[in-house]
Amino acid sequence: MTRSAEVAEMDVLLGQVAATQDRAAFAALFAHFAPRIKAYLLRLGAPGAVAEELAQEALLSVWRKAHLFDPAKASAATWLFTIARNLRIDAIRRERRPELDPEDFMPEPDADADAGLMLAENEGRLRIALKELPADQIQVVELSFFADKPHSQIAVELGIPLGTVKSRLRLAMARLKRAMGGDA
Amino acid sequence: MIAHHPDDALLMAYATGAADEATGLIVATHLHYCVMCRMRTRGMETIGGSLLEDLAPQPLAAGALEATLAKLDEVTPYERPRRAPSRDGTPGVLRAYLGGDLRDVRWRRMGPRLAYAPLFRKGGVAARLLRGVPGADSGPHAHEGLEYTLVLQGGYTDVTGSYAPGDLQVMEDGQRHNPVADPGEDCINLAVTTGRLKFDSLIQKIAAPLFGF
Repeated sequence: MTRSAEVAEMDVLLGQVAATQDRAAFAALFAHFAPRIKAYLLRLGAPGAVAEELAQEALLSVWRKAHLFDPAKASAATWLFTIARNLRIDAIRRERRPELDPEDFMPEPDADADAGLMLAENEGRLRIALKELPADQIQVVELSFFADKPHSQIAVELGIPLGTVKSRLRLAMARLKRAMGGDA
Repeated sequence: MIAHHPDDALLMAYATGAADEATGLIVATHLHYCVMCRMRTRGMETIGGSLLEDLAPQPLAAGALEATLAKLDEVTPYERPRRAPSRDGTPGVLRAYLGGDLRDVRWRRMGPRLAYAPLFRKGGVAARLLRGVPGADSGPHAHEGLEYTLVLQGGYTDVTGSYAPGDLQVMEDGQRHNPVADPGEDCINLAVTTGRLKFDSLIQKIAAPLFGF
């Protein structure tokens, strides 16, 4: 299976878990994502036993929250990222994650009937664009996700001014936005 | 129309989860008002999803899947907490910290024209509400660390421009300003500071620490 087919397969599996509590689909999601979430937590400095436990807990959350997954808004990988991110803030930092209240009235941009399809195409282009970013730009993007530090601290560790970190990030975001079909 | 937005670094800090809780709260409250920044955040989370996909998988311990499968029968489907709807349009993300609506806030006076309500302080970062009657000014001050201000009601103007509901202003270390509440409704802001404010006037120098600023 190609990488993008594998990614799309995950969305289908998540839909099956939501619709019919399909345990075989859940097991396949677990096999794919639990080792990646463990890797994510280890990258962020979690001890091995904690990363192991939280990776399992993240997948348990997937089981409990599958009915909230909206494939028009995010891929399974993106949704799993937000679950792992929030779980880490809650369990390791012991803080609350301030999140928008979905019950609030907040206007959405015009919905597209093919939103899910467009999203999958856009994500495919994003993955390619990420790999094509200049080394200094991908470095600040990755540190933003994996260092758990303010950008001022990232600047100190890289030995460059904060303004340089911010401009690299801005350049990276402009490129990625173009790749995802946004009007940067 | 929202005119003042978080830059990529600040929004990224929220999307990645690196932002502290108070900074996360003020960004999330901006997102409540700003559809463009909600879309920007979604784009950044999509980058998170791609990076997650591309991490080298770290195998789990033997029996991890079986242990998790065994728990599936014990857990119940997640249900979103139910809250009574806001009576005055207070963003839900903020209501979770206020314990109610903006109109229920118990204000503490700082002189005849200004009031405040502390929300929380963690690791030197403080979140609070500030309220000023039209024409009220906070007094000229500079910043040690960062100050984020988000307008919730009314508006204010300083040397950098005018701010209306949903607008987010970031004042960097060492920057100075003298915000004045606009005519009309009382101006209510959510403010997050990562360091002390440094007021010019002696009376405010003495008073500020008493109010926790």
